[in-house]
Amino acid sequence: MPHFIAISGPSGSGKTTWISQFLKDQSTPQFYVCPGLGEISMDLARIGYRFPWVQVVAEAQLRAVLADLPDQATVYFEWGFHLDLGSPFLAGLGCERVAVLPPDLTESDWHTWADRVVAGNAVAAPANGHLPEVWCTPLTGQVFDPPSLEVLLLEVTGGAYGQVCRLKGIFELPNGRAFYVDFVEGLPGMEYTELNLPPWLAGRPSRFSGIEVTGWGLEQQAIAQTLLDSGLSDAALSQYHQHF
Amino acid sequence: MKLAVISCIHGNYEALNAVLSDIDTHRADQIYCLGDLAGYGPHPNAVVELVRSLDIPTCQGCWDEDIVEGLNACECSYPSQLAEKRGHLAHEWTNRAIHPEVRKYLATLPMTLRQDNLCFVHGSPNSQHEYLLPSMDGFAALERVLSAEADVLFCGHTHVPYLRELDNGTLSVKVQQPGQGETQHQFTAPLKRIVNAGSVGEPRHGRPNATYVLYDTDSAQVTLREVPYDYAKTCAAIIEQGLPPIFAWRLARGMEFAERADDPGHVCER
Repeated sequence: MPHFIAISGPSGSGKTTWISQFLKDQSTPQFYVCPGLGEISMDLARIGYRFPWVQVVAEAQLRAVLADLPDQATVYFEWGFHLDLGSPFLAGLGCERVAVLPPDLTESDWHTWADRVVAGNAVAAPANGHLPEVWCTPLTGQVFDPPSLEVLLLEVTGGAYGQVCRLKGIFELPNGRAFYVDFVEGLPGMEYTELNLPPWLAGRPSRFSGIEVTGWGLEQQAIAQTLLDSGLSDAALSQYHQHF
Repeated sequence: MKLAVISCIHGNYEALNAVLSDIDTHRADQIYCLGDLAGYGPHPNAVVELVRSLDIPTCQGCWDEDIVEGLNACECSYPSQLAEKRGHLAHEWTNRAIHPEVRKYLATLPMTLRQDNLCFVHGSPNSQHEYLLPSMDGFAALERVLSAEADVLFCGHTHVPYLRELDNGTLSVKVQQPGQGETQHQFTAPLKRIVNAGSVGEPRHGRPNATYVLYDTDSAQVTLREVPYDYAKTCAAIIEQGLPPIFAWRLARGMEFAERADDPGHVCER
């Protein structure tokens, strides 16, 4: 029988990190599902890039994939903070339920829901009724001017366009490399991880990249405009590619 | 004699008023201004009118030049594509807002001002656009001061105030002319100083406070001043005037960034 595990917790608590430790194992088929954001999921893309042997399942394919799972399969459902813990879909699967929670959080809906609690990052759990909004957009084909990207990330995470508690992004740079960027409010610094992908040095990359911002009062249009202003023109990109 | 040196006001009337009040309390005998009266800030005309009304000797800054002559960028102008786009927005806004007589006044400003052994410039004696960063190569820095024929060179443009002392300035020059042997000359330069006044209206030192410099010509004492002011008023005016709101956000954090200041080896080619 396939094994289903649902993992939930507040934004930035370390759900994806917790799942990633098991995805290194290639001995049995593994599946990763991250519902809620459709095709524009940074986690889905990052897991796909980092663990190419894992089958990442977009929401549109979920029903078909679940209907045809091998017996030894393990399916990880990353259940975002914005999704209903009482979902009949989850209940119907008979999932093992794991909550990744800040160590100082002792009482919450996640505690009631979970079969077991794992200590995660010491992030602030959102107060009831004040759940943050999530804004995401694909950036596929966009290649960033590196100093502009640095400014953009500093401004977005610094609160220039609303209060941000989480930012995840996959960004393409003119040297052909792609980076995963991760910011969690309350944790030190911003994490930059180069993705293990072949350098893209011919034209605009067609592989997925994008950004996901979680917070309150997000000025989506201003963020989008800043993203556009930070992207390289065809001429500038071609000049970079000739150099590399 | 006590001098006050101010620079890079960038249309920030509130900051200029606060700095002038601070100068009053320190009883400066003379004020010099190193330019960049306009650009980014919401009150370029009022700033120019105030500086003119007080007869403050002023040299031309890079933004003042751009308002007179139009944009003519060297690659050193902006540290990023994003900064360049925002800089152009600020230029277009200022270009529309500036009064004709203010533009005429900016066109009359000299590149350099002098008082005895002191020289006042916006960027460097070479150009309003060149940065004299504290990390600049010592030889190049000394060359800039010597070319100004001064003992103390006052500059702005970087928006971060500093004092740099250039001592032990020994220069060796070898000359070989056709048909003649090589000759070597040595020059010893006396102590030279570069004093950067920072920025009144657009600080870049991580706090919103205005900065300027006091200089005592008798004791040669340099005092870097940091002056708090009601920056929220300027931020509100930035938004009211239709300038990009991100300018207000950055001003409130002392994060001015719109021009490059991270390449000490770069020589401006304008």
